[in-house]
Amino acid sequence: MCTPSLISRKTFLKAGLALAASPLLRYVPAHAAAAQVTEVAPGVFVHQGRYEVQSPDNRGDIANASFVVGSEAVAVIDTSGSAVMGEELRDAIRTVTNKPIKYVINTHMHPDHVLGNAAFKQDDPIFVGHYKLPRALGTRADSYVTANRQMLGAEAFAGSEIILPTLAIKEPTKLDLGDRELLLEPQSTAHTDNDLIVTDTKTDTLFLGDLLFSVHVPTIDGSIKGWLGLLEAIGNRKAARVVPGHGPKSMKLPEALEPEQRYLAAIADDVRRQIAEGKTLAEATKTAGFSEKDAWKLFDQYHVRNVTAAFAELEWE
Amino acid sequence: MPHPIKHLARGFGAAVLALSMLVLAAPGASAEETLWPILKEQAFGDRPIQENDGMVVIEAPQKVEDAALVPLTVRVPPHVKSKLKSLTIFIDNNPDPKVATLTYGPAAGSGGERNFSTRVRVDNFSHARAVLELEDGSLHMATRFLAAAGGCAAMQAKDPEADVAGMGKTIVRTFAPAVDSNPIWAGQVMIKHPNHNGMQLDINTAKFIPARYVKEMTVKRDGELVFKLDGTFSISTNPNFRFTFGKGEENALDVVIVDTDGAVFESHEPPKGS
Repeated sequence: MCTPSLISRKTFLKAGLALAASPLLRYVPAHAAAAQVTEVAPGVFVHQGRYEVQSPDNRGDIANASFVVGSEAVAVIDTSGSAVMGEELRDAIRTVTNKPIKYVINTHMHPDHVLGNAAFKQDDPIFVGHYKLPRALGTRADSYVTANRQMLGAEAFAGSEIILPTLAIKEPTKLDLGDRELLLEPQSTAHTDNDLIVTDTKTDTLFLGDLLFSVHVPTIDGSIKGWLGLLEAIGNRKAARVVPGHGPKSMKLPEALEPEQRYLAAIADDVRRQIAEGKTLAEATKTAGFSEKDAWKLFDQYHVRNVTAAFAELEWE
Repeated sequence: MPHPIKHLARGFGAAVLALSMLVLAAPGASAEETLWPILKEQAFGDRPIQENDGMVVIEAPQKVEDAALVPLTVRVPPHVKSKLKSLTIFIDNNPDPKVATLTYGPAAGSGGERNFSTRVRVDNFSHARAVLELEDGSLHMATRFLAAAGGCAAMQAKDPEADVAGMGKTIVRTFAPAVDSNPIWAGQVMIKHPNHNGMQLDINTAKFIPARYVKEMTVKRDGELVFKLDGTFSISTNPNFRFTFGKGEENALDVVIVDTDGAVFESHEPPKGS
């Protein structure tokens, strides 16, 4: 028989539990369902982001996010653009495997690839990035958080935060997932100054992050010269498939690189010619690279900014 | 004096409506209307300023794509014959609203269009203003609204190592006019310099990156002053200036730049046939 005092004690305990749980809950934002993922090679899963800029509607789901499952552990490669999306990616992982999520790797600093990191704090993973990633994120954290909270809205942004890597990669490094290794190669300045190429050696899958854009116009936040040089080197590699940061889930070398190489070369050629002619930055932004206008989604959103960055770099040649 | 809270309560509905309309109409406009009179008084006292009288024009892109690198051009059209005394550029809502003041010298030239261009950071939706002072002391202002934000905090170098490696590297160029009879030449000065504004927080160290920026630039043609520029951190990383000067004998330029750490960068563009 339950005495009133016991009931109230039970209620009290429940309330206490709820209270204790509530701070945790704040870091596990509400989400609808598991993210849709495709197995592009055995044990290699990719979620494809939309070709959009961040909005409350897409909740930051605008970049590709992947994971690789070994016999002992899982590694996540980019976590999408919000904690909500990160949580959906985590759910997708849990529909595939219960193995521990040991590594969360960021291919570079951009918010649409890192803001989902927060959803994996509960797994206590090793957060991995290029050795310049801590500085890059550290000096941009404020502006990234402010801008993304504004673009996503409070609901979709809830729980998102900048998490700095705990393992910084300066030399090519292998991570063991059990029966398969990931090779991590830090690059010199290209798309950003902290691009990391991840290779799943077992299936010969290259995760290029935003070194490769397809359909979505490329964005220059590092060095156009460095990027063009690196793309040439990547084109000489052999791989079974590559996973772009924005674009289809899986592509082939070297064709996958060609549109991006053509786009960047068009900007570099036009800008160099205009600099030689004594033209100004303002003039260049009106014409350089516009032959590429119809070849890309989101051209109007990013192209002029790309020309601006290219001009500010190439005028020092 | 009426109690402000009572007043607020009375007009609350109307105030909310007015505020939301303001926000819809022009973000930031309300804040800045209170700022300019103060900036104006600090810089020019009670001297009258002619607005939009065609003596000076300010140009900026319709749509700002990169708030850390906004090209800004000030033109003094050819119909203005007078010598120039000074030019001051403001961005009202920047942490330091004064972008630069140019004090012109005898080699500034006249007899054609005179202009000045640079690239600026824009921290918030704001008016940009150019106030031109002519030889007779009259002041003339052109204004343009800049829809951009975040240029001061979000000004990180894309490749900090590359910037530090080349720090102080300066390029000076001169451009002869297309028509030989034009007495106005054009020049350009570029300097590799971070122009740190001291407003970037690094969460790794929980410290702000210290301010260091170009404070002063003196440009001389054949030994005569074209202008002296007093700058602030509203000027973008790797400051870039385009300007005009009066045609001389040799048209050689000497440029001396001093930054807030006291570092001095000197450069010279040799004579080019006039």
